[in-house]
Amino acid sequence: MSLWVDKYRPRSLDELHYHPELSSRLRSLAASGDFPHILFYGPSGAGKKTRIMCTLRELYGPGVEKLRIDQRVFVTPSNRKLDVNVVQSNYHIELTPSDVGMYDRVVIQDILKEIAQTQQVDLNAKQRFKVVIINEADALTRDAQAALRRTMEKYMNNMRLILCANSTSKIIAPIRSRCLLVRVAAPSDDDMTKVLQHVAKKERFSLPSPVTKSILSTSQGNLRKALLVFEAMKMQRPDLTGDIEVAKPDWETYCSKIADSIIQEQSAQRLLDVRGKIYELLSHCIPPTVVLKTISERIVDRVDDALKPQIVHWAAYYELRMRMGSKKIFHLEAFIAKVMTVYKQFNMIGYTEDYE
Amino acid sequence: MPSSTPKKSSKKEDSEDYSPKKSQEKKKPVKKDEKAAGRDIRGFGAQKSSGSSSTAGNGTGKKPITIDDSDEEEEIVEKKPAPKANTSKHFASASSSKKPIVLDSSDSDTPAPRPKAKPPTPKAKAPTPKAKPTSAKRKILIDSEEESEEEVEDVKPAKKRQSLGAGLSSRSNGKKPSYVDSDSESEEKDEPPKSKAKSKVPVKGKKEKSASSMDVDESEDSDSEDFIDDEKDEKPKKGKGKPKPKASPAKKSTPAKKAPAPAPKAGKKDVDEEKQVKAEEKKPANNNWRAAAAARAAGPKAPGSRDIAQGEPDSLAGLTFVFTGEMESLGREDAQELVKRLSGKVTSAPSGKTSFVVVGENAGASKLKTIKEKKIPTMTEDEFFEFIRSRKGGQLDEKQIKARQAEEKKIQQQALEMEKREKEEETDRKRKERALEGTASAQLWTTKYAPQNLREICGNKTVVERLGTWLKDWQKNYDSGFKKPGKDGTGIYRAILISGPPGIGKTTSAHLMAKEAGYNPIELNASDARSKKLVENSTNIDNTSLDGYFQGKGIQSTSVADVRVDSRTCLIMDEVDGMSAGDRGGVGALNALIKKTRIPMILICNDRSLQKMKPLQSTTFNMTFRRPQPAEIRSRIMSILFKEKLKIPANVVDELVKGVNSDIRQVLNMLSTFKLSKDQMDFDEGKELVKVNEKNTIMTPFTITDKLTGPYAFSKTSKETLNDRMELYFHDFSFVPLFIQEHYLKTQPALTNTLSGAEQNLKHLELVSKAADAISDGDLIDRMIHGSEQHWSLLPFHAVQSTVKPASLIYGPGRSQGGPGGWGPAFPQWLGQNSKQGKLGRQLTDIQIRMRLKVSGGRNEIREQYMPLLASKIVLPLVQRGTDAVEETIEYMDEYFLGKDDWDALVELGVDSMAESLISKKIPSATKSAFTRQYNKSDHPIAFHKGDMFAASKKKIADMGPAPDNEDVFEEDEAVPDEPSDKGENDDSEDEVNDVSKDKLIKAVKPKGATAAKGKAKPKAKK
Repeated sequence: MSLWVDKYRPRSLDELHYHPELSSRLRSLAASGDFPHILFYGPSGAGKKTRIMCTLRELYGPGVEKLRIDQRVFVTPSNRKLDVNVVQSNYHIELTPSDVGMYDRVVIQDILKEIAQTQQVDLNAKQRFKVVIINEADALTRDAQAALRRTMEKYMNNMRLILCANSTSKIIAPIRSRCLLVRVAAPSDDDMTKVLQHVAKKERFSLPSPVTKSILSTSQGNLRKALLVFEAMKMQRPDLTGDIEVAKPDWETYCSKIADSIIQEQSAQRLLDVRGKIYELLSHCIPPTVVLKTISERIVDRVDDALKPQIVHWAAYYELRMRMGSKKIFHLEAFIAKVMTVYKQFNMIGYTEDYE
Repeated sequence: MPSSTPKKSSKKEDSEDYSPKKSQEKKKPVKKDEKAAGRDIRGFGAQKSSGSSSTAGNGTGKKPITIDDSDEEEEIVEKKPAPKANTSKHFASASSSKKPIVLDSSDSDTPAPRPKAKPPTPKAKAPTPKAKPTSAKRKILIDSEEESEEEVEDVKPAKKRQSLGAGLSSRSNGKKPSYVDSDSESEEKDEPPKSKAKSKVPVKGKKEKSASSMDVDESEDSDSEDFIDDEKDEKPKKGKGKPKPKASPAKKSTPAKKAPAPAPKAGKKDVDEEKQVKAEEKKPANNNWRAAAAARAAGPKAPGSRDIAQGEPDSLAGLTFVFTGEMESLGREDAQELVKRLSGKVTSAPSGKTSFVVVGENAGASKLKTIKEKKIPTMTEDEFFEFIRSRKGGQLDEKQIKARQAEEKKIQQQALEMEKREKEEETDRKRKERALEGTASAQLWTTKYAPQNLREICGNKTVVERLGTWLKDWQKNYDSGFKKPGKDGTGIYRAILISGPPGIGKTTSAHLMAKEAGYNPIELNASDARSKKLVENSTNIDNTSLDGYFQGKGIQSTSVADVRVDSRTCLIMDEVDGMSAGDRGGVGALNALIKKTRIPMILICNDRSLQKMKPLQSTTFNMTFRRPQPAEIRSRIMSILFKEKLKIPANVVDELVKGVNSDIRQVLNMLSTFKLSKDQMDFDEGKELVKVNEKNTIMTPFTITDKLTGPYAFSKTSKETLNDRMELYFHDFSFVPLFIQEHYLKTQPALTNTLSGAEQNLKHLELVSKAADAISDGDLIDRMIHGSEQHWSLLPFHAVQSTVKPASLIYGPGRSQGGPGGWGPAFPQWLGQNSKQGKLGRQLTDIQIRMRLKVSGGRNEIREQYMPLLASKIVLPLVQRGTDAVEETIEYMDEYFLGKDDWDALVELGVDSMAESLISKKIPSATKSAFTRQYNKSDHPIAFHKGDMFAASKKKIADMGPAPDNEDVFEEDEAVPDEPSDKGENDDSEDEVNDVSKDKLIKAVKPKGATAAKGKAKPKAKK
């Protein structure tokens, strides 16, 4: 009854459909007994966590799949109580320190150290060390990363770290140098087709190639997205024939609507309306960068060629500011105001001033 | 096109650069002696800033232009012409006529410069009107290059009239400005399009700006335009005479001006009517009360265009003025002050007693109507000045003189009385306490001149009298058991609660009335501890306590604060609202005391609406003291002044009293301090004194936002400096930026006023975009302040970027938002939205962690990718198939360990077509209840016991205490406990849940302590 994406998730290294060289390397690493700290990185939906779990299974056997969730409460120096959810099996622990935002340092210092200081207690375990998985490692603050760095070396006997990130750029060099960097690239179209076919076969139906194509084009190398879209499509039209529109998620259609209303009219009043809509998206947990990206892509699609580079330029410009600032909506609004101005100038006088 | 315009502008800059020299050479022979003679309104309003800026401006005109923020500058120069180019043709003529700059009309035939203070001779009046037509022409020239964003309606007859005084000033330093005229003139002829003038403007603005530090440094075109206006206003005024020959050609091009020009000659009524019509026609945008109010506050449009008349003192005594509409050279406040300075009276609405109405632009229709009805004489601004100049000081009529004499007599009498009493007291005291050196002069004025009888109390007469009757009747009421309300309803109360602002005589009145009624007042105030126990014990009024007895002082049982209480005692509890944390239970005890008191009690507080004053509401009679009117205080103050031999005119006293909000105590304190240095005070000194003593008031973010973005907030007439505006930010620096951010899209910027249609919209957008950029910059700065770096010294910079700069771009009247209460700044949405985001974010984390057992994705992936599909599995079926889908839905939810709460959260997280409001409407309530019922009926796997865990871990934390020093205690059971639960866990996933919960319980008891112990134990073992 699970969704396909979870139902057909590979459980061991042998079952993985793509990146066979990576699988074999992980296998040999697990077998060597000298398992390093590893930093898995790659785009979302490429299979990082799946590979991590497969590797763990290789290390410890099926016991790692018995997961349970523990909620730790701890107190920050400013006397605030924080809940941290810890997913763990007998052999490993999985943390997402970025859940607690700026207090992630405390999580690293308290919980991780505590784990690191204890030895593996299961005498039957295949390895003498425990594994700690840190999700969203690239969202760790600098302080947290600094706190991590010594722990990694000091407690190497008891613990191995597996960091999981989308990009290494936000991870400080000392940590990168202590880890084995494993890049999990997004699957190629062929790989994805293979996976889709595999799922279709398991579900006992045949997958027409136009459907595959449209899935591939919307999912953009994100296998998770591809499988979810695939299932949504199948639900929508069980026979998978004819011209199937890929159902877009709610937030994406909403973003397109915002983009359309920007193209339709440029005025302060419209900007005010757009502000309301953006608040709606942000408050419903759509990350601001995603909002910015989706809106600007849609706008770029719809404007004159001469304007496209400018829109992209401003999108990049404001995304950087958004990351540097704290109140995201201010920058989103500035972006939209800029786009409106540029677009209106272009329409009224046929050109716009150069951007930097 | 874009390439050509900047070029032009640069050319212009050049020409401007050298032109000053030329013109100066030309002008040198003209007299330049009476430089200081002319004093313009700006000098009057803001002496410091304007004076310096104008001279500085002149000075820098010759210097090479230095532009600090050059990139911005370029942008402006390039951008400006572009949008305008299309329309420049239409605009050219209009713009040229738009902003009449007041030129000095009284060129050659002006009488010799008069000293300011002197009232002009009647003759002087004559030439002025005659000069008008020519002046109009001349004006046009200068205006043609003028930018003038906002004041379309400036085209006004009144404007053209040049006051004589201005003539003086213009003559005095008239050399320099003429280049402006000649320069623009020539350009105007061959290149009519406006773009030129425009591009030139910012450069000049910069110059000016760099000279006068009072303004926003990075102000962009908009700002600099303002400055230009300022500067030009002054310059042409000063530059006189020269432009005459050039005037003729331009004259024809601006016929619009001509019509109003002769108007002043016509009867006043015509003027009024014309003005009214104009107001209606020309200012549709400002036709709302808000804009009008702001305009009133914002002040004159062409400050300094006329010289302020300096009438003789008392010259307006006995006259009552009403100001209506907007004056050109003088803000309303300034005008009112002027009248008051000359002992005139100002009322807000015309009535039968009004002597004159000074009518400005956009005069209120209703006022004009009353004026007509009551046939009150009206005058224009110029006539008003003329009137002041012409009036001799002290032209009092018989009646006034008499009234004044009578008043003086009264004052002297009072003073005499005081003196007499003082002497008596003095001798009395001397007799009593020879040892003590305290003489009368050593006393504070507030004590020395405290009212000694009912007559001397200022204001609140009726209330005080009522207090007196209540006290007199108290014994009677007591005897009747407080059953009879009496005439004024005070008869049923044992106590009175007096409330009112500080310094208006509450305590004094209470004491005085108690004494008058024959009581012996005992005062307890905040300096006495008044906790429950103390109130109960120290005010041992009904003799229930024996401690007095046991203390061995005999049977001295009824005492308050060690003063014997008898039936003729009155207890005054001062500053009741000051009973604070230290006086725990004080109010309650006091209230209990009131209920059984056998002596009258007077309670005094400042604010009786406070929560802690609630208990007293029902047991006390509420008596509110109001601030007395200045007139009520005046005579008292005057007599004190007379006594103290301080010479301060009555109007100054009024001003002082008003300035401190009728706080008598403060006025006396101020005056007694002032006396140390001087024996006299004139109007300006009075103002200054008030300003120095002004209490700091905290404004709300609403008013701050209103003030910063008001229609004229940054107009050229605004006298506020950058520092003043930043000051506003610092009133509440965490909120004001948010308010500005909320509000900046809701105005119709004043800077777009000169444009219309699409041009205006584009300009508006540009401004908004710039403002948004500034706000965005502000946020980056905010991050540096509040982030890990804590650069608090950046706050002023943040003030500019987040508040002042955006406001400077988009100030203007608010646009109607269509709803009720659409006016004015709204509370920032950001706060609400942010907390909503936080709340939903936590719910999403909850969902994610539950699903984590099945799913690999993080929070964002769950929201962005899973949720749409998941919704179509567990939400949409309920919408489409109703009750039938309940089973299936629950099955899915169980699969992902989602509970009913998570289902709700999931629905709440939807947007657009999945928005909660839509979805919950679509699911029939029968389905909903069936779903809930079904869900509650069955068992569900849970990922973990959140509640238990939470409680347990909390306990753990508590147990662990500050320092987990329990290594020895735990040493033995090291390593053992984790084992059993961990081992047997290789069953199916169904059991997993049970195991998990079991684990939890076990865990809750031990793991943290155990692990901690282990951690601690290890190093020990190593040792």
